[in-house]
Amino acid sequence: MSALSNSNWDRRSVMRAAMGLAAAGGLAACGGNTGRSNASGSGVNLTQYFHAYGEAGTEQAIKKYAKAYDKANVTTQWITSADFESKLFATLLTDNAPDLFEFHPQIQMIRSGQVADLTDIVEPVKDDFNPADIQSHTVDGKIYGVRMIDDPQFFFYRKSMFEKAGVEVPTTLDELMEAAAKLTTSKVKGLYLGNDLHNVIHPMIWSAGADTLNEKNEIAYHTDGVIEGIKKMRKLFTSGDLLLGAPTESWDPSSLNQGLCAIQFCGMWAMPGIQDALGDDWGVFPFPKTIDSGKQSVYNGGWSMFVNAKSENVEAAKEYVKWLWIDQKEYQEDWATSYGFHIPPRTSLAESATKLKSGNAAEGVRLFNEFGHFDNIGWTQAMITSLEDVFANSVRKDMDPEAALDKADAAVNRELKKLFG
Amino acid sequence: MTTTMPEVRESAPPSGKPVRVKRGGGGVMSSTGLYIATGVATFLFLVPFYLLVRNALSTDAEITGENWKFFPTDIQWGNIGELFSDETVPFAQSLWNSAVVATLHTVGVLLVCSLAGYGLARIPYKHANKVFYAVLGTLMVPTAVTFVPSFVLVSSLGWVDTYRGLIIPGLFSGFTCFLFRQYFLGFPKELEEAARVDGLGYWGAYWRIVVPNSLNFFAAMATITFIQGWNSFLWPLVIGQDPGSWTVQVALSNYMTNQTVVFHMIFMATAFSILPLVFVFLFLQRWLVQGIAQTGIKG
Amino acid sequence: MSTTKTRDLARPAPAKASPAKPRRGLRGSPTFNFWLFTGPFLIGLTIFVYAPILWSLWLSFFEARFTVTPDKFVGFENYTYMLTNDDFVGSLVTFTVFAAFIVPTTWALSLGLALLVNRLRFMRAFFRSVFFLPTACSYVAASLIWKMSIFSGVRFGLMNTVLGWFGIENIAWLADPNPPWYWLVIVTARLWLQAGFYMILFIAALQNIPDELYEAASIDGAKPGWQTFWYITLPQLRATSTAVILLLLVAAYQAFDEFFNLLSKTTWGRPPLVELYYKALGESQDYGAGSAGAVILTVLICAVTLLQGKIMGFGRGEESK
Repeated sequence: MSALSNSNWDRRSVMRAAMGLAAAGGLAACGGNTGRSNASGSGVNLTQYFHAYGEAGTEQAIKKYAKAYDKANVTTQWITSADFESKLFATLLTDNAPDLFEFHPQIQMIRSGQVADLTDIVEPVKDDFNPADIQSHTVDGKIYGVRMIDDPQFFFYRKSMFEKAGVEVPTTLDELMEAAAKLTTSKVKGLYLGNDLHNVIHPMIWSAGADTLNEKNEIAYHTDGVIEGIKKMRKLFTSGDLLLGAPTESWDPSSLNQGLCAIQFCGMWAMPGIQDALGDDWGVFPFPKTIDSGKQSVYNGGWSMFVNAKSENVEAAKEYVKWLWIDQKEYQEDWATSYGFHIPPRTSLAESATKLKSGNAAEGVRLFNEFGHFDNIGWTQAMITSLEDVFANSVRKDMDPEAALDKADAAVNRELKKLFG
Repeated sequence: MTTTMPEVRESAPPSGKPVRVKRGGGGVMSSTGLYIATGVATFLFLVPFYLLVRNALSTDAEITGENWKFFPTDIQWGNIGELFSDETVPFAQSLWNSAVVATLHTVGVLLVCSLAGYGLARIPYKHANKVFYAVLGTLMVPTAVTFVPSFVLVSSLGWVDTYRGLIIPGLFSGFTCFLFRQYFLGFPKELEEAARVDGLGYWGAYWRIVVPNSLNFFAAMATITFIQGWNSFLWPLVIGQDPGSWTVQVALSNYMTNQTVVFHMIFMATAFSILPLVFVFLFLQRWLVQGIAQTGIKG
Repeated sequence: MSTTKTRDLARPAPAKASPAKPRRGLRGSPTFNFWLFTGPFLIGLTIFVYAPILWSLWLSFFEARFTVTPDKFVGFENYTYMLTNDDFVGSLVTFTVFAAFIVPTTWALSLGLALLVNRLRFMRAFFRSVFFLPTACSYVAASLIWKMSIFSGVRFGLMNTVLGWFGIENIAWLADPNPPWYWLVIVTARLWLQAGFYMILFIAALQNIPDELYEAASIDGAKPGWQTFWYITLPQLRATSTAVILLLLVAAYQAFDEFFNLLSKTTWGRPPLVELYYKALGESQDYGAGSAGAVILTVLICAVTLLQGKIMGFGRGEESK
């Protein structure tokens, strides 16, 4: 080969390399797809999103159920909780969206056409569901999601520490504050509500005799009782009896298990973990009365399955939801009681689940039934965020509660106007 | 000037001069003070690394215990095995993905941005300035908001879960292009002119003269770009849907934000996410200093 | 890459002259070459950077909630909403406060480290590596070490342990905004991550200062120490300092990761990008308002940069060398 052609070839190859990189397919040769597992022969492929549950075995369980289904090949994406929402909402805008996903019932997903109508699969078994779980998923007579688990949230406390400090289980917020003070030592804080206190916002409102929205979808949280509650929370926050800056959030019982605090706000799911760590040295109680005229309360959170309305396989996805979360009662019970503890929304299952029949679990179920408040589908994420801001401003900082609530009102009303006109 | 770029002095000024000159902040403090200050700074800079290693090799009980322990009573080497045998997070695979992504990212960025930087700096074109400002303008736009449209766009190309999707959209860095331009503005013109007289076009002169004489700077940019590629998080998070295509940062976030926090695993994962970069660094930093000394941003 | 074969070309000198001429039209054309060099970059920039920017711009005039393909045109409503939004305006204040903290401290620390390292006789490479090493860490990793270990609010955090030895109560560094300890956490994390990199810039600049200047000063009777530092070193570092300050400002403006990881769900300590993330990307998914905020920010930053360019003359290629 002559020198000339050689140098030409060199030049061209360099150019090709440069262009190749810019061109779309350039890197395909360098590795290509890193690989979704491909379909076996059965035809339809479905993808589902779950947030990462903390309890060991949960991911394997969800994948096990999916594998047992023979009419479609279901792939599970197990996404860490902090990233779950950004990832879910970003992908819902694209063709890579999951066909089905778990979330909480919020009306904006229905109004913006993100989730499919599931009335036809839920309707036949409607009577076997907790009526509140049907109501919280219904808009204009249509049911948009299937509840998988109900998760009541309340306080967990160390019985031994209570005895040692001579503290009774508190029934009012004032008593709770006193208890926190008495239980605080140099190594242990009295109370943990999470670093941002967000999880007690709704219970505090309910326990003050107020609500988030009334039946006409108008603001119902802006009451004197709530203002008094916020002031008490502020006092508690500055009292030095509250555990702050813990490395784990309040949905993780680590702070209680590690002896960092004597009382922690957490959820029913944590019960098996706490039992392992603390034996029988613990009990539960609902959020106490914010003001004397209020009533103790429990937030009944939970997770539901939704079908992406823009999926190419809406029918197949609905089939799968029906198969797993309506027909397969054995799996539903396994999911609700074998890992963390959750209350099955199916009345028949809730009645037969033996693990929830004794001890603290039974007490949890009682609190759920007696003091529980369910999600309001009209109470959306933007509104939740507004109240979180109220807490951040008036409890963690010292803004006047009235002013903070006024600010929230403006944001919530803007949202309500967009949703309900 | 000769064909080599000015070498950066690594050591004190050449000897043989009668006057002993103290350079820089010389004389502001005594040698003892100097070494004490350096010692304190070193200590402070190493504390986070110490904590990382201490926590990675402890049990959770020791990390969270009532009494502070400077060193784990029993070093838990088993934590390493635990990290790599975790079934839910393919950690070894994620390290490999990160290595591939960061390497290809670096090669791509250097190639594309250096060419563009050279074009903008050295090739006379009447609209070159306008093009330059168009590039510079992209630096002003906050990425947090163009993020979702970018994702929708890349997803519509079908690049989710692929190396393509992880790498290509990040190649066109206005900032890197800008740095290359600044550097090439300072590149001695005589060298290229000599090459042009020899009959080399812009392209030939670039590959035969400019690049070989700029390897220090390329190495510096490679180091910085590699770190960026290795450490980027939000984009790989949404693009890497399947655990098989997670990068190490995504895998790491999996430990961090899980509902249950396992301290030793978090810190072990973090340690392993940093380790490869530390090696790359120790190896490349010599060129980094020299390369940066030659950018347009110098004294 | 095939850059080593330079000699090949010089050899067939006679053969080269004739074919080179006809090709000169294209190969020698600056315009063609300009596009040849910048083309790949510009194509990519258009697709992956400009298209999303224009998309965002378009979104900012629509009511785009839970969708990026909206159909309800609302004119400037998103803009008025963002401009009258206390949180968004507040985020600009936060940025200013943050920049006022971080820019001078990083500048001073990295210069100080550079001066130290530059004067060392022994183990210079070792110390340079120590200070430079944190640059290799990601913000995610640093946030984690800071949040979980150094500034953990409970008893097993390092700072609280150390304070405990002096009988000081645990401090909730991040959870309690009064006093605003969170700034300490954020600024130290960023200092640790960044200082080493800028130190390298300063070391490079220090080594470029000609010895003659120091010699001349010494002959003129300037005492080594503050005098030479003040009258020679610092002025000689002017260009680098300007560049470092500009880079630090850009970095402060782009700050996101450590705020996002360290201060989740607060109403304080939110610089603009974090604020916009919560508005546009996070749970509320109001892409219209978020995009409007981004456009406002872009306009602001462009104005500031142009102003600074006027004052300092940075970024105009002809002058920077």
